Amino acid sequence: METRRYELLMLAVPEITQDEAKELERQVDTVIRAHKGATLSFERWGKFRLAYPVKKNDYGVYFLTRFETANSDASVQETRTLFTIKLHHIIMRSMFTVLDSTQSLEYQRPKSLEELPSRDVDSFLNEGKMEGNMLHSREEEL
Amino acid sequence: MTKKIKLKISARLLKKRARRGQGNMAKQCRFCLHPDQEQTVDYKNAPLLRGFLTERGKILPSRISGLCCKHQRHLSKEIRKSRTIALLPYIAQYY
Repeated sequence: METRRYELLMLAVPEITQDEAKELERQVDTVIRAHKGATLSFERWGKFRLAYPVKKNDYGVYFLTRFETANSDASVQETRTLFTIKLHHIIMRSMFTVLDSTQSLEYQRPKSLEELPSRDVDSFLNEGKMEGNMLHSREEEL
Repeated sequence: MTKKIKLKISARLLKKRARRGQGNMAKQCRFCLHPDQEQTVDYKNAPLLRGFLTERGKILPSRISGLCCKHQRHLSKEIRKSRTIALLPYIAQYY
């Protein structure tokens, strides 16, 4: 059977701990290895503000895994059942995609909350870079 | 001999006919012009896809985005995939 390359994007609850994340990685790897496959990468994207609340959570942590298996369909099915039965309290959503073997592994992703710089209101106002009609500028004109 | 009754054409219809003649001839599909950008259209690439949504979160039609049929279909599919994993909204909420 030909080996297929898969990509799995998982949306986890924001309260996930590092131990739980490692456990998740280990369990997914076990399932893939049971179907004679190999994990190519496992990345934690970070905490994100979701576009809409998922299971009453406004935030979530994304994980991206890439793996190769020969016994493709069965491995995907088993990973899905793993999420719905064992890890249902951790994983909210998952998305499986087939990748081309010839395609490059590069991709672009949105910036997580940890990567985006968070600004303090006072420091932002003190900079004075805000444009538009403001009260103090009118006073200066007068 | 019966008189020919000329029906009044509404102003709205006249404007529409005038607009039809103009057309935007210069707009071309940006993914057809730059094939290397095709790879970047992905459900994970939410910032790029957000540029093809309206303020309310609706997908822009191809006559506004200027994309060809093939790329519009591909883009729409990726946007809908992105919506299911909450990277893009179904409806953008006003805060």
